[in-house]
Amino acid sequence: MGRNDSLEMGELTDTAYYILLSLVDARHGYLIMQTIEEMTDQRFQIGPASMYTTIKKLLVAELIQLFDDDDPKRKTYIATEKGIELLKKEVKRRQEMVLHAEEVFKIRGERLI
Amino acid sequence: MKKVKYIANGGLAFFEEKEMKKLAEYAKEGWVLEKFAGLGYKLRKGEPQDIEYALDYQKGADDEYFAFFEAAGWSHVCSAGNEIHIFSAPTGTKPIYTDKPTTVEKYEREKKQMGKVALPFFISTVVFWLVGIFNDLGSVPESIAILFQVLGMISLIPLIFTGMPYLSYQWKLLKLRKG
Repeated sequence: MGRNDSLEMGELTDTAYYILLSLVDARHGYLIMQTIEEMTDQRFQIGPASMYTTIKKLLVAELIQLFDDDDPKRKTYIATEKGIELLKKEVKRRQEMVLHAEEVFKIRGERLI
Repeated sequence: MKKVKYIANGGLAFFEEKEMKKLAEYAKEGWVLEKFAGLGYKLRKGEPQDIEYALDYQKGADDEYFAFFEAAGWSHVCSAGNEIHIFSAPTGTKPIYTDKPTTVEKYEREKKQMGKVALPFFISTVVFWLVGIFNDLGSVPESIAILFQVLGMISLIPLIFTGMPYLSYQWKLLKLRKG
């Protein structure tokens, strides 16, 4: 869609990253929000409009799929194999980014935090 | 005492934040938004409320969409054509958009939507006016040229009403991408 569509570049936005991460197990929307807030100690919050938009995008990209839609208000989703693969790749990418920063700060003799 | 008040809509495509703030100010005085009414809003007198308003564009919003907002503490107030939705929540509630990529998408969606409506009027306006210009060169009978000029004027009106919001969204996206 947009020119800064990170999904098409094979990267996940922070929001997509956490949603996908919480959908390793099947969950419905509200539980996804709660899981993420608990996981990050309330530091990462996702507003309802960002949530809805990102879930729709992940569905189109086949990174998640519908698990159960008996209750249209509480549809549950689960990450697909493709989604898990991308998530792993993304974790690796972010891990490397952190590592690079750690190296730079180590050379400067500065401590992180 | 009056129970209902109608106020003008200052142009959601141009002054979204200002409009939402204006509605919040009214709510503080007890004038609470009830629904869209024509080109404005219908407010109803009630208890003063310390709330915020938020606007979203979502064509064909479904049950799940509204359930997400409800779960996050945002109550659905009203919608126009199941495309423009206004929500309210106590001041300080986590915003409905929490990241830039999805905020960009909100305006991308609406820009596209508006562009689809504006395009035919843009084409017809250009075509009608071109015919008018060709008439000055003497290649078209005058009566037809006048008719086309009038049609060009007529199609300019909807073009302004759709083209201006389109440009406004474009401008907003430019600012979002830079900032």
